[in-house]
Amino acid sequence: MGAAATSPFGGQSGAVGPGEEVLVLGRRGRTWRLVVAALLVVGYVAGTLVGDDHWWPLAPWRMYSTSTAPTGAVSVPVLQVQVPGDETWRDTALAPRNIGLTRAELEGRQNLVLRDPAVLGTIAGTHARLRPDDAPWTGIRLVRRSTVIEDRSPTGETRERVLAEWTVTGGGRVVDP
Amino acid sequence: MRRLAQWWFPEVPLARIALLRLAVFGFVVVDVLLLRTAGWYHGHADPTWYEPLVVGELLRLPPASVPLVEALRWGCVGLAVAAMTGRFPRVLGWGTAICWSWYQYVAFSYGKVDHDRADFLVALFVLPTVGLAHLSDVRRSQAAGFALRCVQVMAIATYFLAGIAKIRFGGWEWVNSATLARAVIRRGTWVSEWMLEFPFLLHAGQWGLLAAELASPLIFLLSVRWQQRVVGLWFAFHAVTYASITIAFWPHLVMMLSFLPLESYRDAIARRWRERRTTRAGPPPHPR
Repeated sequence: MGAAATSPFGGQSGAVGPGEEVLVLGRRGRTWRLVVAALLVVGYVAGTLVGDDHWWPLAPWRMYSTSTAPTGAVSVPVLQVQVPGDETWRDTALAPRNIGLTRAELEGRQNLVLRDPAVLGTIAGTHARLRPDDAPWTGIRLVRRSTVIEDRSPTGETRERVLAEWTVTGGGRVVDP
Repeated sequence: MRRLAQWWFPEVPLARIALLRLAVFGFVVVDVLLLRTAGWYHGHADPTWYEPLVVGELLRLPPASVPLVEALRWGCVGLAVAAMTGRFPRVLGWGTAICWSWYQYVAFSYGKVDHDRADFLVALFVLPTVGLAHLSDVRRSQAAGFALRCVQVMAIATYFLAGIAKIRFGGWEWVNSATLARAVIRRGTWVSEWMLEFPFLLHAGQWGLLAAELASPLIFLLSVRWQQRVVGLWFAFHAVTYASITIAFWPHLVMMLSFLPLESYRDAIARRWRERRTTRAGPPPHPR
């Protein structure tokens, strides 16, 4: 392998000795790679400093980046449903296999629900497609359940608030935004 | 400047790239079939929940549908398995990269973006640039070194830029907030829930985590031996996180393998295996 062979990707081979052969890069191969590296660095740093989730894949890595006040409340969204012949509202799993969406996604689209609560009705359709053997849902409501904390520790108190509701008969309505 | 440019091109054995590719493409198969399946379910969700991201608007990507998610899922599996053979590394590698990226886009365009997957895209796109790399290839290559360096930089950027994001979004008071307590209240397990009784543990954890994230780039100044130890510490951190709040940054864990001399591990395991077999078989019988 004494003669150097260049590929479209700029590779060259230089023989050193048996088992020690090193494939070195030519000027072109190094240049475009350095340009790619610079673009990656600039893109991800910009995403972190000024971007938001919509910039994905250059979105900032912001998992658990917000500050939660040591004293206050930690909230989770809860989905409750009614089935035919039973007025009771029961919690249902906020999981993709159940409603086609995750808990975080429902949380992320909370403004959509408050703007147009009838969209909750589409979840009944998705559930019927994913779980044809379950009882169909005649009512769906989005609830915010909060755990009260003091100095980073739960006090044992929980609060619950219905944000929006949809029923087959009444359609969608905002309850307590 | 010249030294910085040189830093991007270490001479790395091609066998290491071949092994890392096996891990990366193997992960794609496990991921789409078992780990991150929310994208598939979006095929069943009503299009009203679709919230296009910038890249989706630029490329005019449609909302998910059942045929689309099935095509992407099986496309990922088929291309990744083919790429694991090492043949046509560029076509199959970039094919897998495009398919997996689109599948992730489908998963993330319904109101929630996961923050552990963007770095893996870089691995998928950059590893094919090395070209052919055989498991038994003893040659060293600068193209392999560049690909590996990119994967390492992205893996560490995940920590470092996550630290910067905490300062940007949470402010410096993040370290004194109740963010980890909130995480445990929302997603806690029996491993972590007892910590709510001792809030100073989670409070100290926040200081430790931000410090570790901001210091993470120092790994590039360490010797290979110490780099392996630091990677071990990060793996331990991720194991504790998973046990505490059932969140694991799976693709990122695969990226961290880029710091390890994989071909040496493989050779050591093979040697040990051979030795054990020889010992079991006992010494050769004496000729009469």
